[in-house]
Amino acid sequence: MTKRIDRRAIVRALIVFVVAALAVFAVSTIGSTAMADTPDAATAVAQTSAIHADAETTEAEVTVDDTAADAPGTNRIAQNVFNGLVFGLLLALASVGLSLIYGTTGLSNFAHGEQVSLGAMLAYFFATQQPVSLPLLPWEFVIGWPLWLAAIAAIVVAGGTGWLQDRFLWSKLRKRGVKMVQQMIVSIGLSLALLNLLQWWIGPDRLRVSIAIEERRQVGPIQLGDTTAVSIAISIAVLLAVAYFLLRTRLGRATRAVSDNPALAAASGIKVDAIIRLVWIMAASLAALGGILMALYDSGTKFDVGAKLLLLMFAAVTLGGLGQPFGALVGSLVIGVVVETSTLWLGPDLKYATALAILILVLLVRPQGILGRAERVG
Amino acid sequence: MATAEPILIADDIIAGYLPGVDILNGCSMEVAEGELIGIIGPNGAGKSTFLKALFGLVPIREGTVTLGGQDITNKRADELVRMGVGFVPQTNNVFPSLTIRENLEMGAFQASKGFQKQFDKIMDLFPDLASRHHQRAGSLSGGERQMVAMARALMMDPSVLLLDEPSAGLSPVRQDETFVRTREINKTGVTVIMVEQNARRCLQICDRGYVLDQGTSAYTATGQELLKDPKVIELYLGTLGA
Repeated sequence: MTKRIDRRAIVRALIVFVVAALAVFAVSTIGSTAMADTPDAATAVAQTSAIHADAETTEAEVTVDDTAADAPGTNRIAQNVFNGLVFGLLLALASVGLSLIYGTTGLSNFAHGEQVSLGAMLAYFFATQQPVSLPLLPWEFVIGWPLWLAAIAAIVVAGGTGWLQDRFLWSKLRKRGVKMVQQMIVSIGLSLALLNLLQWWIGPDRLRVSIAIEERRQVGPIQLGDTTAVSIAISIAVLLAVAYFLLRTRLGRATRAVSDNPALAAASGIKVDAIIRLVWIMAASLAALGGILMALYDSGTKFDVGAKLLLLMFAAVTLGGLGQPFGALVGSLVIGVVVETSTLWLGPDLKYATALAILILVLLVRPQGILGRAERVG
Repeated sequence: MATAEPILIADDIIAGYLPGVDILNGCSMEVAEGELIGIIGPNGAGKSTFLKALFGLVPIREGTVTLGGQDITNKRADELVRMGVGFVPQTNNVFPSLTIRENLEMGAFQASKGFQKQFDKIMDLFPDLASRHHQRAGSLSGGERQMVAMARALMMDPSVLLLDEPSAGLSPVRQDETFVRTREINKTGVTVIMVEQNARRCLQICDRGYVLDQGTSAYTATGQELLKDPKVIELYLGTLGA
C-alpha cells in the first residue's frame, strides 16, 4: 500500500513538472521569437563580451560561451559535458562553504551568493587599470595589481568578511538563542543589503577582471583555453585541499564532529565557536575564489553574479546531501553537467529549470541526497 | 569510602533552563574520590538537569560546585573537560559520521599528543570496539553507541565521569553489560556519578545513592541501605521489593 502511494506521488510530481516545463518552454520560445524580430537582440548578444556592457546585457549568463562548441573538430556533446564539469567545479567551490555553514550551524545562508559576488568584485577592484573608489570616499585611485595578487587580496579580504560576519552577527544570534528560521530571514535581509551595497559601490555594469583575450586550443574533441585550464587546476587543488583538511586533519575532523553534534562536540572539549568561526572564514574565502574563477572563465562578472547562482548552490548542496561537504561537490558537478548538456536538447532558458528538475527526481528516489546517509535509529 | 576527601561538592544548587523557571531548588551532593554515586528519583525530579548543571550545560543561578576545592560553577564544558570531568549524554552521544576511532580522537581533542597510547588503553576496556574501530558510529546499535560514548568520555582520563541514564533504551542484557562496565570503569579509580531510571539495578552497583524529588536531594545513603529503605521501596522501587 505504501509503495503504491509513493509511486502515485512520484507520477504526480513528474506530471506537474512536465506540464510546468512545457509551459515555461512555450512561453520562452514565444518570447525569444519576438526578440529575434527586433534588430537589438543581435546587438545584445554581441555586447556580452564587452568590457563594460550596457544595462541591456543584464541577461548575460554565468555560464560559458557556447560558441566554442561550434568550432570545427569539436564534438558538441563532449564540449558541453566538459563545460558542465568546469562549471560544476567552480560552483562546488562556492557550494562547499554553504554546505559547511549549514552543517556546523544549521543555517541556510541566503547571503552566500553575495560572498561569491564580493570575491569577483574585490578582484576587479584590485586588478583593474580603471580608476576605482571606496564607498563614501570622494577620491578615485588606480590599484592595478597583477591578477594573482589581486585574487589573493580579494580572497583574504573576503575571508575577513566571513570572520566579521560571525564575530559581530551570527555568533551573537547563536548566543541569544535566536531560532534558525529567524536567522535565515536575517540572512535574506543581509543578502539584499549586500547586493545593493555592491551595486552602489561597483555599479550595475558587466566587468572584466582580466582584459587578456583567452586563446582556445583544440584538445581532442573539446576546445580549452589557458585561463580555463588554470581555473580547473586551481579548483581541483583547492577542493582536494578542503577534502584533505576535513578527512585527514584533527581540526577537520573536529569540524565534522561539530557538524554531527555541536552539543556533544562541546562536551568532548572542542571549542565549537572557534570551529564555526573557522568555517565562516573558509566558506567566505572559497566563495570568493569561486567568484573570481567564474569571472575569469566567463570573461566577465556583475554585482549580482552570486545571487543568480544561489539557487543552483542550494540545489547542489541539497542534491549531494545536506550538510555533507563532499555531497556539495558531487551535487555541483551533477548540476553543472545537467545545466550545460540540457542546452543540447532544450532551450537555454530551461537549463536552470532542468537542474532543479533533476534535484526533485533525485530527492524523490533518495531523500537524503546522493551522499547523505540514512542513520540507524536505536 | 565515606572517610575519603570529597572530590566534588555541589552546594544548594538552584538552576533551570529558562529564566525564572527553576528545575533544581536547592540540590546538594558530596562525592568522595573513587565513589560510584547513583542518582535516582521519579520523572521530572531534575536528575538529568542536576547532572547537566554540574557540567555547565544548564545555568546555575544560586549555589556553588567545587571540584578538588576549585570553584567550577558555570564553567564551560570544554574547560571542565580540561579539568578532568567527563560527560556522557543520554541520547545523541556519538558523532555518527565519524568512525569509532575518530569519535575517540574527538574525546581527546585537547590532549592529542598521547592519543595512540590512551586509545590502546581504552580499547583494552572495550575490546568489542577495538576490532571495529574503523566502523562508522552511525551504523552501531544503541548499546554499542553507549560503549563508544563512554570510551570517548574516558579519553581525557577524567577524574569524575558523569553518566546520564546509560541504560536508557537498551535491552536487559545490554543494560546489565552497561552496569558491569560502569563498575569496571569505577574500579580503575574514576569517580562516577550516574543518573538512572533503573533505580534497583543502579543502587545494587553504586556505593551511595541520592534520591532526588522535586528538584531537591531528599535522601542519601549507601546503595544497599536505600534498597532496603521502606520509603524508597514504596515510592521508587515498587512494592515487589528487592
